[in-house]
Amino acid sequence: MDASNFLNALTPFNMMLALFGVVAGTVIGSIPGLTATMAVAVLVPITFSMEPASALILLGAIYTGAIYGGAYAAILLNTPGTPSAIATTFDGYPMAKRGDGDLAVAIACFASVAGGLVGALGLLFLAPPLSKVALAFGPVEYFWLSIFGLSLIASLSQGNLLKGLVGGAFGLILSTVGIAEISADVRLTFGSQTMIAGFEVVGALIGLYCIPVLINLAAVPDRHLKVESEVGSLRILEAAKVTLKSKFNLIRSSVIGTVVGILPGAGGSVAGLVAYSEAKRTARPEQRFGEGEPDGIIATEASNNATVGGGFIPTLVLGIPGTPPDAVILGALLIQGVRTGPTLFEGGGSIVYTFIYGLIIATVLMLPTGLLIGRYAYKTIITIPKAVLVPTVGFMTIIGTFAIRNSISDVIIMICLGVFGWLISRFGFAASPIVLGLILGPIAEQGFVQSWIIGSATDNLWGMFFGRPISLVIVAFTILSLTYPLIVKRRMQNKKSPTDLKAE
Amino acid sequence: MNEQLHTKNKKDIGSLIVASFFIFVAVMTFYDTTQYSDLDSKVFPRACAIVLLIFSVLTIVWEFTKPSSSEGFGNGYWWRRIVLVVTMLIACVAMPYITFLPAGMIAFAGGLIAAMHDRWSRRTLLLYWGSGLVIIIAFYAIFHYVLHVPLP
Repeated sequence: MDASNFLNALTPFNMMLALFGVVAGTVIGSIPGLTATMAVAVLVPITFSMEPASALILLGAIYTGAIYGGAYAAILLNTPGTPSAIATTFDGYPMAKRGDGDLAVAIACFASVAGGLVGALGLLFLAPPLSKVALAFGPVEYFWLSIFGLSLIASLSQGNLLKGLVGGAFGLILSTVGIAEISADVRLTFGSQTMIAGFEVVGALIGLYCIPVLINLAAVPDRHLKVESEVGSLRILEAAKVTLKSKFNLIRSSVIGTVVGILPGAGGSVAGLVAYSEAKRTARPEQRFGEGEPDGIIATEASNNATVGGGFIPTLVLGIPGTPPDAVILGALLIQGVRTGPTLFEGGGSIVYTFIYGLIIATVLMLPTGLLIGRYAYKTIITIPKAVLVPTVGFMTIIGTFAIRNSISDVIIMICLGVFGWLISRFGFAASPIVLGLILGPIAEQGFVQSWIIGSATDNLWGMFFGRPISLVIVAFTILSLTYPLIVKRRMQNKKSPTDLKAE
Repeated sequence: MNEQLHTKNKKDIGSLIVASFFIFVAVMTFYDTTQYSDLDSKVFPRACAIVLLIFSVLTIVWEFTKPSSSEGFGNGYWWRRIVLVVTMLIACVAMPYITFLPAGMIAFAGGLIAAMHDRWSRRTLLLYWGSGLVIIIAFYAIFHYVLHVPLP
């Protein structure tokens, strides 16, 4: 780690790559259906002729840009551009609907940059020790982590916990459709060849979030988003103030994102959900999460961008990809002849540190480019006539879903799920718990079954699930997450009652 | 007042129907798990089916004792909703036979007709249909030639 590596990252070519990567990633990530993994995979071939450090800088920049780009569609269309932005929809879209879409986009940019920087700094200073976290997480910890994510159902149920739990359980069942990962049984296909591959998560997300919005938009003549004043800037100063005011949330969510990013297979969507859950748990009484609370966007966007740096830690130190785009990047590095592993930081230190500095530079560049692209995205969405917006978004959902697995069946399932999501939402069954179940189901099942097998084999089932320190910490946080709002409510009532009594 | 009561009753029935559907899903899931060869495949979906069944039954009981106040289908034109969804589905089903571009145009046309609440003028007709054509061709070019997605 010396100044020469930093100067290497600052060469005009590397700077240009960082800028191009961020812009390309942001644009690709903003299109529903095109994930960060796809953005990185599509642009990998152009890195083969580059120096390894430059190739890494480009791929890292694309990755970080794509994760941020997912926020645009989440805020302005209620459709997560990438799965990492699921929790951004919870407060981003309500903010946009009430006329604060410009503020939400700017807040997302500030939070993404801050989260990205924390993740990259974690990679720079703490990579070798932090990589041990990845090894400390066994199947049971993954199981409890997914249960912790599912505890968010309590807060996403829009006032009806029972219906939220029904939705969550239904989502978990949907996640089991297809071939079982562990024993290869064909489950819940009822003889249909189409269902053997199971539900494609991104397609399901697009359907459950986007199609209901389109159905509602088409049915009434009202405007898509409320616009308070003439469209000028993105309310950048106001956004900076709001973000800085929530600095504790920002740092905590970034740290959560970095740590979750380190865990192989967890990724930005889990990080966003966990950070959102924590932000909601520690919210002040006047904060209304799920109704357009800026802290919700800050938590999600800071954490999902922090997974970029966090995910590179096990990728580079252990050779285990932390997130799906890391797996693609790891493949690109292997093609280049770079051998990842514990010796990389010593033998190939120059490449690694130049890349990390490049990632930091790309993340900083995301601030002006992100705000600029965000401004145009916002302007486009609010000025485009609804008669053109609806078919355009509808068309994008079709082509975006098709592109994931080149399957028309996925598109039809996406539309049907969307209509189903719209129908049940009219009777208080929200889509978000179903999505939570769908995303966390595979992690929960794999962790549960593997822990069950190990516990049974060692004749220590209870000890397996409840005897490991990290598991117990996660269990404690889950219980706290579920009960804390009730405790706060009770405390508030106790505080209130004497004055209320006097007033009476 | 009568209208309000009527609406509320309709809403409750909707919740009951949805919860009953979820009970059906839970039963079907449970039945399906009886056919798996490996215990590892059964445990998780069966546990989820039981949870779904319990909470769906509780939802029905709750709806009878304390009816919730959900929105119902709200305002808006049904034909527009149907046109939007049906044309999207028709486009998908027809895509392998008529190729991607014409199918995309069907989906776009359906969405445009469904979402157009103003009176059509010659200007809007040309502008909206023209922009639709440009959008479809641009996306086709990006996905087909840049991202190499094998569109039908």
